[in-house]
Amino acid sequence: MAAAFLPLVPPLNEGRFSTLLGALGSLLAFLAAAHALLGGVPSHLDFHFWQGPARLELDALSAAFLLPLHLVAGLGIIYGADYWPITLSKGFGRSLRFFFGFLVTAMTLLFVTQNGLLFLVAWEIMAISAFFLVNTEHHRPEVRRASWVYLVCTHTGTLAITASVILLAHRLGGFAWSPLPPGAQGSLDVWILVLAVLGFAFKAGLLPLHFWLPAAHASAPSHVSAILSAVMLKTGIYGLLRVSSLLPGVPAWMGGGLLTLGAMSAVYGVWNALAQRDYKRLLAYSSIENLGIITMGVGLGWTGRALGDPWLTALGFGGAIFHVWNHAIFKSLLFFGSGALLHATGTRDMEGLGGLAARMPRTALVLLPGVLAVAALPPFNGFLSEWFLYRGLFASLRGGDAWSSGLALLALVFTGGLAAVAFARFYGVIFLGTPRSEAGAHAHDPSRLMLVPMGILAALTLGIGLLSLPLLPVLDRVVAVVAPGQALARGLPLATLVGRDFRMLLLLEGLLLVFGGLALAWLRPGAQTAEAPPTWDCGYAAPTARMQYTGSSFAEGWSVFLPGLTQRVRSIRALFPRAHSFHTRIQDAVGDGLLAPWLERVAARLFRFHRFQTGYLSVYILYVLVTLLGVFLWLLLRARLSL
Amino acid sequence: MSQALVPALLNLLFRAFVVLLLPPLIPGLITKIKAWMAGRSGPPVLQLYYDLAKLARKQAVFSRTTTWVFLAGPVGTVAALLVASLLIPLGHTAPLLAFEGDVILFAYLLGLGRFLTVLSALDTGSAFEGMGAAREVSFSALAEPALFFGFAALARATGSLSLTPMLQSHGMWTAGHLSGPLMLILAGWGIVFLAENSRIPVDDPNTHLELTMIHEVMVLDHSGRPLALILYGASLKLVVLGALLVDPLLPVLSKGWLNGLAFLGGITLLAVVVGLVESTTARFRMNKVPQFLVAGVLASAFAFLLLLV
Repeated sequence: MAAAFLPLVPPLNEGRFSTLLGALGSLLAFLAAAHALLGGVPSHLDFHFWQGPARLELDALSAAFLLPLHLVAGLGIIYGADYWPITLSKGFGRSLRFFFGFLVTAMTLLFVTQNGLLFLVAWEIMAISAFFLVNTEHHRPEVRRASWVYLVCTHTGTLAITASVILLAHRLGGFAWSPLPPGAQGSLDVWILVLAVLGFAFKAGLLPLHFWLPAAHASAPSHVSAILSAVMLKTGIYGLLRVSSLLPGVPAWMGGGLLTLGAMSAVYGVWNALAQRDYKRLLAYSSIENLGIITMGVGLGWTGRALGDPWLTALGFGGAIFHVWNHAIFKSLLFFGSGALLHATGTRDMEGLGGLAARMPRTALVLLPGVLAVAALPPFNGFLSEWFLYRGLFASLRGGDAWSSGLALLALVFTGGLAAVAFARFYGVIFLGTPRSEAGAHAHDPSRLMLVPMGILAALTLGIGLLSLPLLPVLDRVVAVVAPGQALARGLPLATLVGRDFRMLLLLEGLLLVFGGLALAWLRPGAQTAEAPPTWDCGYAAPTARMQYTGSSFAEGWSVFLPGLTQRVRSIRALFPRAHSFHTRIQDAVGDGLLAPWLERVAARLFRFHRFQTGYLSVYILYVLVTLLGVFLWLLLRARLSL
Repeated sequence: MSQALVPALLNLLFRAFVVLLLPPLIPGLITKIKAWMAGRSGPPVLQLYYDLAKLARKQAVFSRTTTWVFLAGPVGTVAALLVASLLIPLGHTAPLLAFEGDVILFAYLLGLGRFLTVLSALDTGSAFEGMGAAREVSFSALAEPALFFGFAALARATGSLSLTPMLQSHGMWTAGHLSGPLMLILAGWGIVFLAENSRIPVDDPNTHLELTMIHEVMVLDHSGRPLALILYGASLKLVVLGALLVDPLLPVLSKGWLNGLAFLGGITLLAVVVGLVESTTARFRMNKVPQFLVAGVLASAFAFLLLLV
């Protein structure tokens, strides 16, 4: 068990040895987390930190987040060995490995700590190492800008989290985190939760605090994007779950509010994913969508806790945790795949690609399960966690907050539909058809070290989709930690309540594969003997790649509904018009459209304080002296007046 | 023991007949009705069976742009629809499989078939098939909320999340406050039925111009056995989605076989109605289609609201 607490050794050494060490560390931590989840005794480590008792504890909730962290980290380290060879460009490769190890260590600490101060320290290390990781290619200006925007945003969030942790310490009587007994309601609880939601929503990329996310995740190296999207965003979810589990209760309106917030983020994320041309940005927006879905689950769970409904609590929290795992698997698969694409073609613009399924057949094969899973289609894992959420929402329609869950139901349906559109476009434009430019014409599959991690993740999406019945008791254990004294105490675990339905669901998904296999077997004998003809294009015998539908034209039908997509077209009016050009620009409606102008105005107002910043050290010392003097005077006066 | 076994076996046989043999008859019926309305004699009712038999013997032609994804469309659609057909109740006959939450699986199976069809259309690299795929996904993203609002309303009314109790709850017609929402739901689902099965006024399966098609243009490049699977899948979809519309309207009869007959009669009647609709209306302009679908969404959303308050 101790292995779980051993921070990952930041791989400083050259070459294979550091890769092996990093992967081994992740494997140990992964096994420890799995052991804890399978019913092992929660182990802990007590010590003193900053003159207070501190405790590292591996309970079911920690293990539920350590599991995806170390799965993605271990595979990411293996993948990164070939994706970004240490010899590629001196310095970059080393700092990348150093901060990758640091990030994983910080997140491990974050998930196991039961102490507010230590939590904040881990949070800060995580935020800063992620900054350096995003900034890996710092010679490119757009990468620098993305990483600075990220840094500012994450620290604004940290402010709110710090305030929340301090209030929580006041409430618990110390920084040590141990759950308050139920029924001990306090007036501070609401503020702790509101501040936590504010701070953690920044990290989880919930609307309208998401605007840092797409640029940061698109700019980072792909295996870093994978761990940022698959795990780091979920530290926000972990924080919400942990802080709320310490408090005796959650007000009902906050559950409904969080549900609505999650629903809005989900729809907004997928809406934007639909319009993107840069496939890594598309994946980043899809992360916003999925974090929204997870937040919906947390909101349902909170509603269930507030109403004392163990059924709703279990479905909400269970669905959220399940989706945390599933999203970690399929999103890291997709980001690894995007890295392979970037490696092979050198472009992030999907309009230049096409026909890669014929040129990178293995990559295309392993990415298809990921695409189907992210569109929440059976028999893959993404569908199962959404199935939980649907059941939770329907349960809430009957006995919970009917209005917010009705709205969220619509959002979830719409999100599912739009995600299918966005990812049909993603896969279709990149992998199918014929290459639209030279970039994709000579692409080839990546090396085995990059393919094997993707293959493992692809197998997991299908494996969880078909064989996840043993996960139900595991989810029960996690829910018992998140909602202390509610779900399990009343003898209503998920395993008995949805066990039968879930078994039927898995059976039918298996049957789906059987039917598919039969149909395929029936098609087999029809192999073609003559030479392959071109595609039928309504009699036109010389189709070119430029005649194909592009990603933009695929999303064109939605452009009236997409306020973020601004388009400038010069009108063409002549019998024989001369050459004209137009271009489209995709922007984030909330981030670039609303927040950026507002922030600029605020910055202009704040600029009048600029005259205090003279640049002379002596003046600054004078400021310090004046402030000190002021404080002394105030203390003196207060002492006099109170006397 | 044997007394319980015989009806169960008969039920299974009936189900196999409806799912495996009956579907190709429905498009034939619709075509026949349309021909009669236009004063022609039209192709035989069994034409689709002949076509399927012919296609099964023919060799498939694959374009040089296509990959293995090209086969995923026909295979996935048929597999998904076959599983969906296990879940749906056929009239008031005994259900085969029913569990809480099967309605979500049902809806997402339809989504899976559509997704794979779209991928195999994009695999050809044809401009027309890309166009059809883009239209199909846009319109179905609008049709899905209409379907789900209906499910949500029925779930709230019947207290169950399973298709069988939802569609077989005949008591809804007699409970005064439920009959209104049920009518709205059926109206919304009627629109979904026309759109998902690519019928007039949303789409015209018989048009000669590829530019005006939605679904048919996506399968232009399929031939031989893959095309046979697609045609069979399309007719199965008519039956599966038709059952959604027909089931709530059927009366509960005393004998199992009478209920089975009632279902067959209902499906036939639905085919006649579709034929009449197709003969008397024209296909909408492409930009009117979303409005039509939104009307469906609003109808079932209103039903849901009525049950919510």
